[in-house]
Amino acid sequence: MTTPFSYVRPRSVADVISSLEAEGATIHAGGTDLLGCLRDGVYAVDTVVSLGDVEGLAGVRELKDGGLAVGAMTTITDLAGHATVAGRYPGLAQAAAAVASPQLRHQGTVGGNLCQKPRCWYYRGDFPCLRKGGYKCFAVNGENQHHAILGGAQCFIVHPSDLAPALMALDAAAIIDGPAGTRRVAVADLHVAPAEDPTRETVLEPGEVITEVRIPAPPAGLYNSYRKIRTRRSWDFAIAGCALALTLDGDTVRQARVVLAAAAPVPWRSTAAEDVLRGNPLDDAHIRDAAETAMADAVPMTHNAYKVPLFKGMLIEELAKARPR
Amino acid sequence: MAQEKEGIEGQIPFTQAPDAGAEGEPEAWGERTRVVGERHPRVDGYERVSGAAVFPSDVVLPGMVYGAMLGSPHANARVKSIDTSAAEGMAGVYAVISRNTGDANPAWSYGGGHQGRLFEDHCRFEGEAVAAVAADTPYRAADALRAIVVEYEELPFVSDVAHALDEDAPGVHADGNLAGESEDGRGDVEQGFAAADVVLERNFRVGSQMQTPLEPHGCVASWDGDRLTVWESTQGVFAIQGELAEVLDMPLARVRVIGHYVGGAFGSKLRTDKYAVAAALMARRINRPVKLFLTREQTLLTQGNRPATLMTLKVGAKKDGTLTAIHFEGTGASGAYKAGGTSLLDWIAKDLYRCPNVRTHLKDVYINAQPARPFRAPGYVQGSWAMDQMMDELAAELAMDPVALRLKNIPDGSQARDDKPYTTDGLRRCIEEGAAAFGWQQARAAGKGKGVAGKGEGHVRRGVGMAAANWYVGDGGPPATVILRLYVDGTANLNMGASDIGTGTKTVMAMVVAEEFGMDPDAIQVEHADTATTQFATPSGGSKTVPTEAPTVRRACLAVKDQLMDMAATQLGRPRQEIRFAGDRLETTDGLETVAITDLDALKNQKVVVGIGERQPNPDDVSITPFAAQFCEVEVNTGTGEVRLLRMVGTNESGRVINRLTWDGQLVGGVTMGAGFAQTESRVLDGPTGKLCNKSWHDYKLPTALDVPDEVVSAPVMLNDEEANIVGAKGLGEPVTIPTGAAIANAVYDAVGVRMLDTPINPETLVARIDLQEGPQ
Repeated sequence: MTTPFSYVRPRSVADVISSLEAEGATIHAGGTDLLGCLRDGVYAVDTVVSLGDVEGLAGVRELKDGGLAVGAMTTITDLAGHATVAGRYPGLAQAAAAVASPQLRHQGTVGGNLCQKPRCWYYRGDFPCLRKGGYKCFAVNGENQHHAILGGAQCFIVHPSDLAPALMALDAAAIIDGPAGTRRVAVADLHVAPAEDPTRETVLEPGEVITEVRIPAPPAGLYNSYRKIRTRRSWDFAIAGCALALTLDGDTVRQARVVLAAAAPVPWRSTAAEDVLRGNPLDDAHIRDAAETAMADAVPMTHNAYKVPLFKGMLIEELAKARPR
Repeated sequence: MAQEKEGIEGQIPFTQAPDAGAEGEPEAWGERTRVVGERHPRVDGYERVSGAAVFPSDVVLPGMVYGAMLGSPHANARVKSIDTSAAEGMAGVYAVISRNTGDANPAWSYGGGHQGRLFEDHCRFEGEAVAAVAADTPYRAADALRAIVVEYEELPFVSDVAHALDEDAPGVHADGNLAGESEDGRGDVEQGFAAADVVLERNFRVGSQMQTPLEPHGCVASWDGDRLTVWESTQGVFAIQGELAEVLDMPLARVRVIGHYVGGAFGSKLRTDKYAVAAALMARRINRPVKLFLTREQTLLTQGNRPATLMTLKVGAKKDGTLTAIHFEGTGASGAYKAGGTSLLDWIAKDLYRCPNVRTHLKDVYINAQPARPFRAPGYVQGSWAMDQMMDELAAELAMDPVALRLKNIPDGSQARDDKPYTTDGLRRCIEEGAAAFGWQQARAAGKGKGVAGKGEGHVRRGVGMAAANWYVGDGGPPATVILRLYVDGTANLNMGASDIGTGTKTVMAMVVAEEFGMDPDAIQVEHADTATTQFATPSGGSKTVPTEAPTVRRACLAVKDQLMDMAATQLGRPRQEIRFAGDRLETTDGLETVAITDLDALKNQKVVVGIGERQPNPDDVSITPFAAQFCEVEVNTGTGEVRLLRMVGTNESGRVINRLTWDGQLVGGVTMGAGFAQTESRVLDGPTGKLCNKSWHDYKLPTALDVPDEVVSAPVMLNDEEANIVGAKGLGEPVTIPTGAAIANAVYDAVGVRMLDTPINPETLVARIDLQEGPQ
């Protein structure tokens, strides 16, 4: 079914890093998608490096500044059900609860969710697509009903993560360990747009691994939510989604972060919509204006024009929910 | 009189069931039954739930190796060359067969006059077989497939049913893409439309729905000398036996097919396919059993679908709702070979609602995709989508209640069968009783287009919808033979060739026996679905298994009872006409004397009584038809197009309810599958390449258990159809899924005033409708 590979279970992050430095090494975290990708020939591996035996990568801990650190091996279920997370960042808990199915949430991890491979059916199928080192994006002239309306260039996937938009809205950062030491990368800067390089999803270099995600303390008056729209209600990737982090002062929006899911090849921050909201009352006119503005630059493909009214309808509904009652 | 055969010494005497007509039909069970009608858990429930049940895909034999099929990756291609040398040289690879192995490439027909080979030079659909391998592990078999080098010449293709008949469409076959054409009708539609006060015409399109049973298609093939045994995941072992014997040019008697358990089928396992032939051929070459189950992708590519279909429906009616004319045009895609692309497509239009003037016209077309297969209520699900949405629109146009409009047009007999009278008033009763169970009047008054409190700014709206149906078959009929052995200890073996495709057939039949003998259903061991050891049966499909087999089982019971009566008469010293049954005992009609079955001396002596049941023909002067109606409530988000199915009431008239548990299970399953048809399931073929895009369970979106509405109410019409057969039961498995799609579409219309003529209805398709946010008219 797949080419032979070796499987290692290092016990420390340092050993993980050295194992990952080998050519063709890949991480096994929750493992919900690894075997599927190997079986489908999406990519090949020589070494699978399990994080399963590394101590200290799972769990949520308090940071001194009032924020939270979430270990990369924390399961999605644990994140969704964590009382402090739900209390401080309800949108993050909502996003976690909206991931996949219960079984997949039990197995899937926070780090793995951020580093997901795209679900594009050309990428997953037997098409020599650009992202797999092939010659073109088959979605351009093909069945692009689930593809990007924003940020596409060369490749038109949408990023499949629910957690990434939610974390981005909260200004979270990934802690990355690697051969050159530890670095901190904002979740907003974690993913690679196809204009830059259509063959990679994240900025992780060979040997690097996400060990933790840090979320800053919630600002006073934070309204935080995540909404996901699916073709199949019970269990599906998003066809549209949005993470909101608004700082409200009465009815007035002081700060706003609006991050769209399933709109673009990377989690898509709509700064233009944020600009409409910031400093203004959260009334119908501004809500509609923000929704329109978020879609102003949308370039639908041949089969996904529905996403424009879908995102607008969703944003109007979600922003209206943020109004103080 | 019973035809009694005198037992020669050492032979067990047996009796055939009394002939219908000789002694008349046996007495009906009537209203008071002891076991029948109850909720009885599956007789094989423990095996199924614990994992002890051996499905064909669980079969492991000594020395067995694993087969795999290689399919063409192109929508239409000619095989220029195949090089299997690398695969043949791989360690652990036992067999490689292709068109290069002439002795392992027999003639094969997809039907409809097609004459081809197991491995074709011209592969007219993606996934069509090119080669097969057998290796010591499934993984090595997959590696061997990848080592086969095939050179293809890609050919132009057509994959869209709407373009199959275009002048410039590439021909799937040399003689063009029209696979078949038919017309039907009655009366004069022109006059009918002229007499109408309202005439509506709409174009409908339904996507291709794929069966995707949990257990993939496949088999284990094993030879013992010149005798072949195949364990196959199938709906009918005898059908598979016949197909394999023909393709392999073998005597039927030397082909044994066993299919005790089936992990789902939905019509896609009525026939076998090339995998079974390849497995048998390879097993013979290497003298080892070969297990060959297709991958999920291969089942989606090659193992059946409900055809993508285009329909134009024109309906005329008087102001009072009386239908005056129906004109139905349908185009359906058989696929690359003739496979019933328009099978039964016009029946709902021409048979369900009373209308004197009808014309239908069907075009079955070829496209470069896998051949279609009957999928749970073939033709009817598509036809209902059009007809019952049209009835809804007509009701709105006439300012009539949709229920009232339907009740206005109830036929007394099957109009498409020369008005042969129905045995029941089932359609009316389904609609009336379903409406009552649902609370239709109140729900319509309360829900119509209203915002839902607490769901945002009134942009989430509720609506209700309904649809009705009948079903083509469901009457059952000959041939069927069943043998019942009643043992001296009061237990019994029921020997019946029919498959239990997960619907509870074994349990239903055990309940029939239990009813007759006053036994516990668990005292009956059902032997079934083995061509070597069980009696001939036709495949379990068409919702005909219960009405075919249950009367036959009852006849076998009556044959046994006939002998027990003689035994009791002798033992009690009374004339036979003074003996009657009372549960698990026999008694004299004066009630003075009684003997338990197990105390019959003659039974103790001979140890067993054997009875044979034969299915008698149905009466030919009536139409034995099951009926259905479904009512649902939905919630539609006008901002996002999200549709939530809140509740569903399903009313079925399929005659007597034998097992209420399996009956209700059918309804929940039928509604779920119908919701998939309406909301999420639709095959996507890539425009530029014709290749299947959604070939996984992520991309092809089946409803999951979490998508089943919280409230699905099964409200059967309690009616015993005594005219139908001697148990009074008709088929249920298909009627339960026919009206679901139209009922949902009609509820969406009620909620937001948007008529969705194409499947699927989901945020992608609904939010794009510019009229959505304008709300109901």
